[in-house]
Amino acid sequence: MLLHYIDLSWRSVKNTPVISFLMVFAIAIGIGITMTSLSVYHMMSMDPIPHKSSKIHYPQLQVMDDGHEWHSTDNLPNQLSYQDAVNLYNADIDVLSSPSFRTGFSVHLNTPDVKPRMEPARLVNTEFFQIFERPFIYGQAWSRDAQDNKPYVAVITKEINDRFFNGENSVGKEIYLDNKSYRIVGVTENWDHHVKYYDVNNGAFNKAESIYIPFSIAPLEEVGTWGNMNGWKHQALRGYKDLLTSEQLWTQFWVLLETEEQKEAYGNFLMAYMEDQNARGRFQRETFEYGLRNVNEWMEYNEVVSEDNRILVALSFMFLMVCVANILGLLLAKFLKRAPEVGVRRALGASKRQIFLQHIVEVSVIGLAGGLLGIAVAQLGLWGVRTTNSYYNALATMDWSMLLAAPAISLIASFIAGLYPAWLVCKTQPAIYLKSQ
Amino acid sequence: MLKMQNISKVYRTDSVQTHALRDFSLEVNEGEFIAVTGPSGSGKTTFLNMAGLLEPFTSGQYTLDGIDVGGLSDNQRADLRNQKIGFIFQGFNLIPDLNIFENVEVPLRYRGVSAKDRKRRIDECLEQVGLASRAKHLPQQLSGGQQQRVAIARALAGNPRFLLADEPTGNLDTLMARQVMELLEEINRNGATIVMVTHDPELARRAPRNIQVVDGQLADFTLYQGKPESGVASSNTPLKTAEV
Repeated sequence: MLLHYIDLSWRSVKNTPVISFLMVFAIAIGIGITMTSLSVYHMMSMDPIPHKSSKIHYPQLQVMDDGHEWHSTDNLPNQLSYQDAVNLYNADIDVLSSPSFRTGFSVHLNTPDVKPRMEPARLVNTEFFQIFERPFIYGQAWSRDAQDNKPYVAVITKEINDRFFNGENSVGKEIYLDNKSYRIVGVTENWDHHVKYYDVNNGAFNKAESIYIPFSIAPLEEVGTWGNMNGWKHQALRGYKDLLTSEQLWTQFWVLLETEEQKEAYGNFLMAYMEDQNARGRFQRETFEYGLRNVNEWMEYNEVVSEDNRILVALSFMFLMVCVANILGLLLAKFLKRAPEVGVRRALGASKRQIFLQHIVEVSVIGLAGGLLGIAVAQLGLWGVRTTNSYYNALATMDWSMLLAAPAISLIASFIAGLYPAWLVCKTQPAIYLKSQ
Repeated sequence: MLKMQNISKVYRTDSVQTHALRDFSLEVNEGEFIAVTGPSGSGKTTFLNMAGLLEPFTSGQYTLDGIDVGGLSDNQRADLRNQKIGFIFQGFNLIPDLNIFENVEVPLRYRGVSAKDRKRRIDECLEQVGLASRAKHLPQQLSGGQQQRVAIARALAGNPRFLLADEPTGNLDTLMARQVMELLEEINRNGATIVMVTHDPELARRAPRNIQVVDGQLADFTLYQGKPESGVASSNTPLKTAEV
């Protein structure tokens, strides 16, 4: 019977091409607008590393003197000082962790053939690659020994490898960052996730870094940050060494905690660490607290998806509802015009349910067509978004889940539009129309 | 086959109450062919709608083929219509988007008949009304008489035991009307019970039994003991009136 209803729906669409086109077009516009904003929202808010996001944590320390306020909801600073980052990394606790910060260099090969180019880079420790599961094309991450003793090593991304080494295996070759030579130990795939969730402080949707060098290079080369630096007390900084021992907050830190027990133990460790630092006179506090958020909690805490995005999605759904209201009107006109035919069908034995289903199937056919056309409209909308700013290049796209969601939302919208007209027409009293036809 | 006892139908609006049928009682036996006549607005069509379960009645009792239809739900009434009743309308009421074959197929689809059985039955019915060669035509491509024959084929498709015809020849010329009437008589001879509403006294006389509805009540009826020998009943055949 379903196929019969689909056949009847198709005939109905063919017999009323203008009104059918208007309905398909209305729903396509509604779906197109909705899917444009929803796709961007989806890409912004989706779990970037679903199998591991609950295990990767970002620690925050309350290391300000009493009476100082931080511009966060829980009064916890969202970065660490250099000394805290180093101390946490070197602590005698059996977890994978890595401090990091964003910087940049003039990258070249010290030959006149290749033009130098400014590239963002990140100082990390070797565990960073393991925590965030960076896939290597050539080589591997540097060793702990190299990190500690021969730190002039680098991991580059495919993009840099293609540009400077024509995509060949560059492991063992030298690359120059500013005036220093670094030995390439590994080539990773480009960071393909649209959210740079390991560093939301410096723009979660900014271009990811393409060069990684050991965190231990920072004091050797006095590497400055390309990211935010904040402080809670006035300190005279006369040089890089002062920065490293200051309370300026400018590094990020990630730790992999596989179990709840590990998380609890690490929390206890953070409390003990703060009490120890307080005892050493770094700051004066009565009570201590810490934050230990996983990836998704961290993204939410930092409002990676802003309220504006949510409002935009809500508005686009409201626009879809306006389209639905228009379709409802058109469907009412179309279905009620067909009441005499429905009267005949009812007289010939059709139940209300069968009449209702016939019309719901017709609505679904319109909704499905609108949904498919809506995907095309959404692609146009996303293209428009991408042209406004390269920032949106990775965000303004539709993944498979959104491609499937479009017809599903369209079907739901068309159901909403079609329920009342279908219900009204299925209640047709056959006797009214049989004589009058 | 059909037994109505004290059936009343009242249409109400905020200020007006119209009695379409009042204490209407009638018994129709299996295999009968009844013509229902009466002036316009007398309640003939309302009676037909009640008989065909197209409208609920306000009070009274109605038994169709032994089933008390008073307590049936809307869906049960639809099922009963589909199983036992065939309709023939003055305006044919064919669905214009469907071809002849598909129009005849409609009641069979709602009955859930398999595609193979549907085809066999539709071919039989179209053969019976002489339109087998027009199966792929759309209704608007046929004459009025042909369309009414399609409507008859559709009514017959489900093998109904009870056929209700509302002015089946009202839109047809004399020749077409005669053909349709002959078809109905043949169907009746094959065992179907037929109740036909008509304004045409000549057609009414061809039915073995006549009833007249006036002001929503059964005013009188004529019972012919046998069918007329000729195609059209004599116009001076005496009417027999009786209280019901």
